[in-house]
This record gives sequence, structure tokens and C-alpha cells, in this order.
Amino acid sequence: MMRWVFILVTAFCLWGAAGFIGSAADAQPAAGGRPATKVEIKDSARSAPYGHGDKLENKPSSKSPGMALLFWSFAAATIGGALFVVTRRNLIAAVMGMVGCFLGISAVYMMLYAHFLSVVQMLVYAGAIMVLFVFVIMILNRPEDEPVAPSGRAGQAIGGIAISYLVFRLIMLLINVKPPTPGALEAPAQVQLPNIGAQVGERVDWGSVKAVGMDLFGPGLFPFEAISILLLVAVVGAIAIARPLKDDNEQGGAA
Amino acid sequence: MSAILFNITYAHFLVLAAVLFLIGVLGVLVRRNALIILMSVELMLNAANMTILTFARMWGDLSGHTFALIVIAVAAAEAAVGLGIVVAVFRGRRNVDVDRLTTLRH
Repeated sequence: MMRWVFILVTAFCLWGAAGFIGSAADAQPAAGGRPATKVEIKDSARSAPYGHGDKLENKPSSKSPGMALLFWSFAAATIGGALFVVTRRNLIAAVMGMVGCFLGISAVYMMLYAHFLSVVQMLVYAGAIMVLFVFVIMILNRPEDEPVAPSGRAGQAIGGIAISYLVFRLIMLLINVKPPTPGALEAPAQVQLPNIGAQVGERVDWGSVKAVGMDLFGPGLFPFEAISILLLVAVVGAIAIARPLKDDNEQGGAA
Repeated sequence: MSAILFNITYAHFLVLAAVLFLIGVLGVLVRRNALIILMSVELMLNAANMTILTFARMWGDLSGHTFALIVIAVAAAEAAVGLGIVVAVFRGRRNVDVDRLTTLRH
């Protein structure tokens, strides 16, 4: 049964990705006479206490129902995968849910016009880190007896109430965030690359590899170099920690 | 209600990231397997990344992308060291249940 849930989540992700690629082509012509536009203007006027109802009326192009459907499908994949991670007893099932979650996150990055970060997310997380987790799980190969620690009834009640209150306040706070630029789904302005010598800088898309690289190797050069040292230290430290000691060769040589 | 459903704003992305972070916190607090705890930490780092990218998009500032890339690199380093610790602990004790790791307590 669990396997079918995972297959459904994966198919959902793939369907969403295909739909996003297909709809990105025709996202530019703003759908003028759709019936949803009229409804949303009325509702956004009603939600004026949230602060940006008037801005929503001026921008009909960000109210495409297809993009909303894609966002909700990616959000469902992300949240479903994350719930899969924390609820499954089988570790491999948890890793597979994590991969689905990362694919959903990658698609959400794409909706935020972070193209480069989306591809990096898919390569580094869904590719490298998850493969590392699968290797360690295969080494350990030990099913869990009892995945969740038991706790008292009173503790559960108090913790549940406190967490619910905190979540309620957090979501109310986040809904009230006023964006300085109106629409989340409109293409941002292009980035002008600087002139190098006689070569005139070109205009590139916001969030593309060139634009991110200009920022990464300009103002972000020192953190970039510091990351290389951090990765070197982490590699050496991981090898030093995980190396088998001399005195447990006779009991755990296979591990 | 239909404005919330059909009109995707930045708040949607922020709330999605917050829910993702919450699920990660829940996994760290509730589960006892060290591997699941590491995966939940990765979930929390991803939620923070999504928030960073949303604010970067909101303000039109590309340095958020640089920061998110550095967060991904730090998460990779953390995963490598954490999994090394898990393997070392498993080699000595034959389990990775964090509730049984009480040697430093006494």
C-alpha cells in the first residue's frame, strides 16, 4: 500500500513538471476573458485588510488558474513527501518520500524564477545526498522497533496546544507580508551584466546561471572560497570519524 | 477563499516553507532513529532555503541565490559528517536509537 502511495506521489510530481514546462510557454499572453478573473477581483476586494488587495486588482496576469493548480500540486508533493519522511517506519520508504519532496521543492524554486538553484537542488539533494542516505541505510539494515517515543497524555495535550497556537500566529504573520513588487508569478526584470573591456554586457534572465554567477563571483566570492575549505574539512572529518578502529576489527569487520 | 486558492502570492510560498520547517521540527522531536532525524534537519534547511529564495524574488535581489547555494553546500557537509557519526555509532552499539545514547549522561 505504501508503495502505491509513493508511486502516486512520483507520478503526481512528473505530471506537475510536465504541466509546468508546457504552461511556461503560454504563460506570457495574459488570459484576458477568463471567468475566474471577475471572481477574484471581488474576493480580493473583500480581503483588503490583508494589505495588498488593491495591488492584486491591477495585475490580472498573475492570476492564472493553471499556475495556481501547478503551485498547489507542487506544494502537495512537497508536504506529502515531508510527511512521508517523518511517519514511515521503513527507512527506504522515508528516503523515497524525501526524493519526492525534493522534486517538489525544485519545482517550487522554478516557480520563484530560481532556475539555477532549482537544477542544483535536483542534482545535489535528490541525486547526491539521497544516494548517500541510501548507502548508509543499506549498511545499517536494521528495522526500527518503535519509531516514536511514548509520552504522557498531558504532555501531548500541552505540546499540541502550544504548537497549534505558534503555527496559527506564524501563518497569520506570513499571510500579512506585504510584497514590494506585486505579482509572484510574473517574470522579474532582466539583469544587465557589466561591460568587460570592449565587450558590452548582455542582458540575461533573472536567476539564470550567468546572473547568479556574477553575484557569486563578485560580492559572494569570500563565502564561496570559505565553503571550499568547509567542504574539505567535512570530507576529512567524515572519513576520520567513519574509519573503522583497530580494536573492533574482530567483531564488526563487515560493517 | 477563492482568492487564496487561485491567486498565488509570496505568502503562499512563505507558508509552504513554514509548514515544511514545522514538519522537520516534528521529525526531530518525535522520531528516535538518527537517520530520520538527519533527514528532518535537511527538510528544515530546505524550508529556510525556500524562504530565502522567496524573499530574494520579492525584493529582486540576486544575492539571496548566492546565500541559498552556500546553504546547500553547508547542508551537504553536514550530511556527510552526520552520516559518518551515524556509521561510527552503529559500529560500536549495533543501533542508532538516539534515546539509547546515554553514555555522556552519566
